[in-house]
Amino acid sequence: MPNASSATRPSGPSPARVLRIGGLLALAAVVLLFPSLAPDPFILSVGVVILSYAVLATSWNLVGGFTGYISLGHAAYSGLGGYATALLILRSGLNPWLALLVGALIVALIAIPVGIASLRVRGASFVIVSIALVLILQLTFQSWHTFTGGSGGLRVPRPFGPDVLRPEQHERFFYLHAVLLTLALLTWWLIERSRLGAGLKAIREDEDKAQALGVPTFAYKLTALVTSAFFTALGGGLYALWFGYLDPIFQFSILVGTYMVLMSLLGGVRSLFGPLLGAVVVGYAVEVFKSQYGDTQFHLVATGILLGLVVLFMPDGVIPAVTSFLNRRRRAASIREVSAEELARQRADKQREEATR
Amino acid sequence: MTGALFAQSLVLGILLGGLYALLAAGLTLYFGVMRVVMIAHSAFLILAAYLAWYFHERTGIDPLLSLVVTVPLFFVVGYGMQRFLVSRLRPISLTTMSVLLTFAVALTIEGLLGFVWTGTQRRVQLGYSGMSIEVAGVSIAVVKLIAFGLAAVSLGALYLILRRTSFGRALRATTQHPEAARLVGIDTDRVAGLGFGLGLATAAVGGTALALDYTIYPSLHWHWIGPLMAIIVVGGLGSIPGAAIAALLLGVAASLLQVPLGTTWAQTVFYLALFVTLMIRPQGFFGGRLAQRF
Repeated sequence: MPNASSATRPSGPSPARVLRIGGLLALAAVVLLFPSLAPDPFILSVGVVILSYAVLATSWNLVGGFTGYISLGHAAYSGLGGYATALLILRSGLNPWLALLVGALIVALIAIPVGIASLRVRGASFVIVSIALVLILQLTFQSWHTFTGGSGGLRVPRPFGPDVLRPEQHERFFYLHAVLLTLALLTWWLIERSRLGAGLKAIREDEDKAQALGVPTFAYKLTALVTSAFFTALGGGLYALWFGYLDPIFQFSILVGTYMVLMSLLGGVRSLFGPLLGAVVVGYAVEVFKSQYGDTQFHLVATGILLGLVVLFMPDGVIPAVTSFLNRRRRAASIREVSAEELARQRADKQREEATR
Repeated sequence: MTGALFAQSLVLGILLGGLYALLAAGLTLYFGVMRVVMIAHSAFLILAAYLAWYFHERTGIDPLLSLVVTVPLFFVVGYGMQRFLVSRLRPISLTTMSVLLTFAVALTIEGLLGFVWTGTQRRVQLGYSGMSIEVAGVSIAVVKLIAFGLAAVSLGALYLILRRTSFGRALRATTQHPEAARLVGIDTDRVAGLGFGLGLATAAVGGTALALDYTIYPSLHWHWIGPLMAIIVVGGLGSIPGAAIAALLLGVAASLLQVPLGTTWAQTVFYLALFVTLMIRPQGFFGGRLAQRF
C-alpha cells in the first residue's frame, strides 16, 4: 500500500520507497527497450495489443476501481472512440491526432447522459445500462450503412505516410500507447491522492455513509465515469489508428468489455498497477490462445471460467493478495487502507472472542 | 399502416410479449430473493432451446416433450447454482459480483454451445411449423400460439405458487425483508435456492417455446438479455406484475414499430424505454421500496 507510513523510521528513504522507485524505473526501462528487444514485428505487434489492453483496463479502473461500480460495457466507449476518430478524419478531414482528441471529448460528452441515467440508483442499474449500451451500439453501427459503413466495416486512414513501413509503424504506436498509458496511470494516481479520490473510495465502501457524511456522491460518480470514458475513448481511437480497420462486431463486443473487467480484477482494482499487470497476463494469454487455436468458441469458455474463478476466489486480485501476505509477515504498516468489509470482519471476530471469554 | 397490418402486428406483439413476460418474471425472481442480476438467464434460455432441438433431432418426437426433462433439470441446476456459487459471494458486494459471476456462466454456456453444436444456425422443422390459423383477418402461426400458451400457463402456475402456497408466502417474505423472514422461522437460504430453481425453470419453458419458432445459434442470448433487462428495470426491479406489464407493452411497441422501421431499429425501443425510465423514474414504474436502492 502506498501510504504505509514511515514516520517511525529514522530519516532517509525507507526500503519500501527504494523498492518502489526501483520497480518503477525497471518497468519504464522494460517498456522503453521492448521495441528494440522484440525479435520480430509480430512480437512487437503483440506488445502494442497488450499495451492497448493496459490503457483500456487502467481507464476502466478509473470508475470500476474507485467506485466499485462494475461496467461490463466499456467497449462502448472504446468503440465509439475508434469510430469518432475515424469518422472525424474521413468526413471532416481533421488531422488524425486532433481527431483522436476531439473524438474522445465527444465520447466524454456522450457519457454524461448515460451516467445521469445509470448512476442515480445503485450498482444493478449501472451494470444493466452498460451492457445495454454495447448491445444498442452494435445494433445501430451495423445497420447504419450510410454513416458508419455498417457491418462491412470502416477503413481508417493511416496517420503516418506510406514511407513508414510496418515494423516502424508498430514501434511508433508502441511508444504512443506507452505515453497514453502513463497519462492514464498518472490520472489515477492524482485522483487517488485527492479529495475526489477519498470520496469515491468512501462510496465504494459504503455509499449510504458517504452520502450521510456529505460526499456529493452523484457528482463524484459522474466525474469518475466521464474521466474513465474519456481515457477509454482515447485508447480505442489510438488502437483504431494503428489497426486501420473498424468492424462493429469487434468494436462493440461484449468480450472486449469483459477483458477489461477481468484484467482489472485479476491484477487488483484497488492498486495503481493492478490493471496493467492483469493486461499483461490476460492480454498475453489471449494473443497466444488466438495464434495457437485460432478464433474458436473455446476462448469464450476459457474467459468465462477464468472470470468465474477470479470472482469466486480472488475478487481483490493478485497484488492485494501478495501485499497482504507480505504485510502479515512484516506486521509493520501503522496506517493501512482497510475496506469496510475487513473492518466488519475484524469487529465480528473481536466480538466472538469476547463472547467466548 | 393499414388496419389489417396494425391488427396483425398487435397480435404478434402480444404473443411475443407473453414470452418476454415469462422470462422477465424469472429474472425478477432471482433479483427478489437474492438481489442478483442474473445475466446467464438468457444463456440458459438458448441452452434449453438447443436441448429441445437436439431432442427432436435424435428422437423425432415433438420438442415440446423435452420439457419433461429440461424443467426439472433446470430447476435442480438453478438450486445448485444458488447454493454452491452465488451464496459463496460476499454479501457486501453481492449485487455487482453476482453480475460478473452469472456473466461468466453465460460466456461459458455460449462457448460450450458453439463447441458442441458449432455456430451453425439451427431450426426445428415440424409438421405444423408452417401452419397458421386465421381469426378475423389476422393470421397467427400455430407455433407462436403454442409458445404463448406455454408462457401463459407457466406464468399462471408461477402466480398460483407465489400466492397460494406456503412456500410462495415464504418466498415473498424473503423478497420483502430477509432478516424479518429469518426471524419468523423461514429458512431463507433454502427459499432463495428454490427461488433460483423456479427462475431457471422459466428459462427451460421459454427455451422450448423459442425452439419451436426461432432459428437458434449460440450468441443469440445477447439479443434476449438486453430487452429482458430493460423490461425488469422499466417494470421496477423485483416486481413480477411490473415485469409482466412492461413485457407486454414493450413487446407490442417493438412489434408495431417493426413495420415502419424494420427489425433492427425496432429493437432499440427496449433500450430507449430503459434510458427514459432511468431518467424520469429510476425505480421503475411498478417497483416498490426495494427497487429504489438498486
